[in-house]
Amino acid sequence: MAAHLSYGRVNLNILREAARKELREFLDKCAGSKAIVWDEYLTGPFGLIAQYSLLKEHEVEKMFTLKTGRLPSADVKNIIFFVRPRLELMDIIAENVFNEDKLHSTRDFHILFVPRRSMLCEQRLKEQGVLGSFINIDEYILDLIPYDGDLLSMEYESAFRECYLENDQTSLYHTAKGLMTLQALYGTIPQIYGKGECARHVANMMLRMKREFAGIQNQILPVFDTLLLLDRNVDLLTPLATQLTYEGLIDEIYGITNGYVKLPPEKFAQKKQGEASKDLPTEPKKLQLNSAEELYAEIRDKNFNAVGAALSKKAKIISAAFEERHNAKTVGEIKQFVSQLPHMQAARSSLANHTSIAELIKDITTSEAFFDNLTVEQEFMTGVDTDKVNTYIEDRIAQKDPLIKILRLVCMQSVCNNGLKQKVLDHYKREILQTYGYEYILTLNNLEKGGLLKPQTSSRNNNPTIRKTLKLWMEDANEQNPNDISYVYSGYAPLSIRLTQLLARPGWRSIEEVLKMLPGPHFEERQQLPAGLHKKRQQGENRTTLVFFLGGVTYAEIAALRFLSQMEDSGMEYVIATTKLINGASWIKSLMDTPEAQMH
Amino acid sequence: MAPGALLLEAHREYEKSSQKADEYLREIKEQGMLAEAVRQCVEAAGHEYDSNTQKSLLRAASFGKCFLTDFSPEHFVATCRELRVLNAVRECSVGLPLTHTQFKQMTLQVLIDRLVYRQFYQLAIEICRYLKIPDFQGVSRVLKHWAACKVQQKELSDEAIARAVCLKVGDSLGVSYSHIAAKAFECGRTELAIKLLDSEARSGEQVPLLLKMKRSQLALSKAVESGDTDLVYMVVTHLKNEMNRGDFFMTLRNQPVALSLYRQFCKLQEQETLRDLYNQDDDHQELANYYVATSYREKRLDSRLSHLQSAVDEYNKAKNEFASKATEDEMRLLRFQKKLDDEKGAGLMGLSLQATMETLLMLGLYKQTDQLYRDFKVPDKRYWWLKLKSLAEKEEWEELEKFSKSKKSPIGYLVGGSSPQLAPTILFDFFNVKNISCASSSGLCGGLHQEK
Repeated sequence: MAAHLSYGRVNLNILREAARKELREFLDKCAGSKAIVWDEYLTGPFGLIAQYSLLKEHEVEKMFTLKTGRLPSADVKNIIFFVRPRLELMDIIAENVFNEDKLHSTRDFHILFVPRRSMLCEQRLKEQGVLGSFINIDEYILDLIPYDGDLLSMEYESAFRECYLENDQTSLYHTAKGLMTLQALYGTIPQIYGKGECARHVANMMLRMKREFAGIQNQILPVFDTLLLLDRNVDLLTPLATQLTYEGLIDEIYGITNGYVKLPPEKFAQKKQGEASKDLPTEPKKLQLNSAEELYAEIRDKNFNAVGAALSKKAKIISAAFEERHNAKTVGEIKQFVSQLPHMQAARSSLANHTSIAELIKDITTSEAFFDNLTVEQEFMTGVDTDKVNTYIEDRIAQKDPLIKILRLVCMQSVCNNGLKQKVLDHYKREILQTYGYEYILTLNNLEKGGLLKPQTSSRNNNPTIRKTLKLWMEDANEQNPNDISYVYSGYAPLSIRLTQLLARPGWRSIEEVLKMLPGPHFEERQQLPAGLHKKRQQGENRTTLVFFLGGVTYAEIAALRFLSQMEDSGMEYVIATTKLINGASWIKSLMDTPEAQMH
Repeated sequence: MAPGALLLEAHREYEKSSQKADEYLREIKEQGMLAEAVRQCVEAAGHEYDSNTQKSLLRAASFGKCFLTDFSPEHFVATCRELRVLNAVRECSVGLPLTHTQFKQMTLQVLIDRLVYRQFYQLAIEICRYLKIPDFQGVSRVLKHWAACKVQQKELSDEAIARAVCLKVGDSLGVSYSHIAAKAFECGRTELAIKLLDSEARSGEQVPLLLKMKRSQLALSKAVESGDTDLVYMVVTHLKNEMNRGDFFMTLRNQPVALSLYRQFCKLQEQETLRDLYNQDDDHQELANYYVATSYREKRLDSRLSHLQSAVDEYNKAKNEFASKATEDEMRLLRFQKKLDDEKGAGLMGLSLQATMETLLMLGLYKQTDQLYRDFKVPDKRYWWLKLKSLAEKEEWEELEKFSKSKKSPIGYLVGGSSPQLAPTILFDFFNVKNISCASSSGLCGGLHQEK
């Protein structure tokens, strides 16, 4: 089911198994038949831990979505609520339970809080007078969820907003806890590096938590050599830029949620010979995207411009493999051919799917709108005319393009220029408010608070220095056979990944000056290992770094890190963790406030 | 004669360097009883009280062992260790004359408990260390009792006790400082309890006790330090019920993290309190945002406008000129929309300025559109785009021509040379293909991008 999790450098299946074990234990606590009432947000992440079959084995017979009103009828002994600790959900649960009590039902109620129970929520249930109805109130500690062999995410949507806008560091506490769980399974991580306020806070909490467990020696040989904690606000630019890798573009255009993408069905219509073409399917085509699919693992991190060639190469290999059947003469040879058929057929259907997706994407990337947008982005990234009002942005506003797109561009210009002149900023803001509505004044305010949009305060713009020192713009990015991470944005090398790369070699000491220009402190901590656990490294053995992006990471950044892992002389392999997988649009959206007018 | 006795005898002869030792040994070996003989000696030693006899029996066993190839030494070693412990507790100063059988029956745990109850802490700890009992069941448990007893010593100062406890307990696993502190608190030594709690690493244990001791401020700062949001909420809720509002707000003010969390809570649950909080902090910017957000929840225009007016006032106080101006504009727009909705049933309420103008153009209300354009200082460029597009879509060529003559277009019209009379047709085509962006970038309409 999840074999692809164990192929990587670090076997992340251990983490998944630990999570499954805990789930089973909880389910067994509630003896008898069960129905689960889901907080809808949790179903996606949970799907990565356990399929329905596991639940079924533990007598889960029905599943519902948490809704106001009455629970659907189900002939089960236990009702279990799987919820995030949110007050508004408590009110719904209370209503459900209250209605059930009116029916004098004899069912047992349980709550499982994910990822942590909360005093406030229990208090709320108490106020509503239903706390006593619950037999088990438990927590299911699910902080880091394995998304792929080298990728962990907390899928904590509001992490960036909470940290930078609301000064609420709950997500960082969960992060630290998640890292402690990880260390319990994979050994203490001897070295911790970090950049940014949040990174500092997480590291402090980790060290503190370690003291709390003082005495319990972790006897596991460390799997990770280094942990690098990076604040998203150290690199605000990267997520704003349009990702140009295959996976990045799928995410930009269709959005990947919990490892699945929903695509327009037209391209995927089944064409069976001899059958009259049936009605076109109307349901979107849902595909799972991860490294379990051989072809996808091969092409997802490529620049989109290199995907076509890869697909046609693959097509040739597959058709050659099918042609083999003509060469099969003896019974033995035929038998061998047949035994490979399922694998070949899977490869063929995977190829068909990705060819269709690539066609869909190509329609968009070859459009002039896409090209114009990209041109402006690249101008900003290279520092061209970032201090003036941009005509393209004005035009797009006049044409009422989606607001998120506009905000993305304006923020990008502001970030690239280290703030906009007051006059320029006000002009953009007025344009946006007049065109999209005054209610967006709150959103603009949020973006300013988060530092994505800001007036220029000092005349000094550090961006050219940073760009030059870190080589953030590479003039001749090779998209087909990349030799530098800048291929993921066709020229722009993500700052976050450059920092990671330079930490491995030659070390941050070489870029002290630039680090000081970026927000937040940078630091290094060491965690003592018990004697005897110091790794004896084989010659030529790579080191492993866990890079944790606090506030989100994009697929293009992940691709760049995978590229670094694969570079022969890098000597470092990366495992990626984050609070949330994001792209520019989903990120900006999480920072928006859109009050809906009650008046009509 | 039992083989064990014979072995003891053999050893005695051996000590005397007598060849009889060999004779006896052979006799035991011939019967194949050497292993049994050793076992008997060890067991006999266990039951002995006199340490000299214990020694000679054990020496005999050790002697016999030498002639056995695969004899497991465990029983022997264990007995030696246990005897040492038993001898120690049999000392007259302790006075526990336990037999080996009794000891086995009651288990080591119980023995340690008894020693602890009789306050032989030192001995208990040494026994634990000697027998290598895991800290959790051994040393830590003893230390816990010791500390609990220590805090009750009235003649010692808080300072001295805290120091002594910390020195001994250190970072020992399984000794909970909060447990010791709770004990101290029970004995009425709150100050000592607080000192001890300082050494507690687990905030989850620290905070509830501090609350119990009514040290709410300290509890709050410890909770904040831990980073555990739930813990902070726990203290905040406690404080809220315990203090009057003013003091509560003041307390929060000194703890920015707690204050932010409380604001988060208020955003969801107590909007009014949120306003009071901003008010207290003179946070005019946030207060203004609060009023803006509130205005959208209002169902009636006048109350919506009054909230917006409050927002304008606050933005002014926050010296946020742009926002106050924008909010004034919003109010003006709402009033305008209301007026036109009443007069013409235009259905404008809630639309953005741009959408309002668009609707007005669709309705042919050109004068009103122009009024908005002037009143709101809509940039020419955007206005021209809007008006040209709308008029072209409506095929209002006359109006379009009138408009084109009114002022020089900031976005140009066409490729140079074409007469203005032709403009509508070409514009019309060009909008219908919905290719505005392509056209503008491909240079078809060179004038489109010219700066005004």
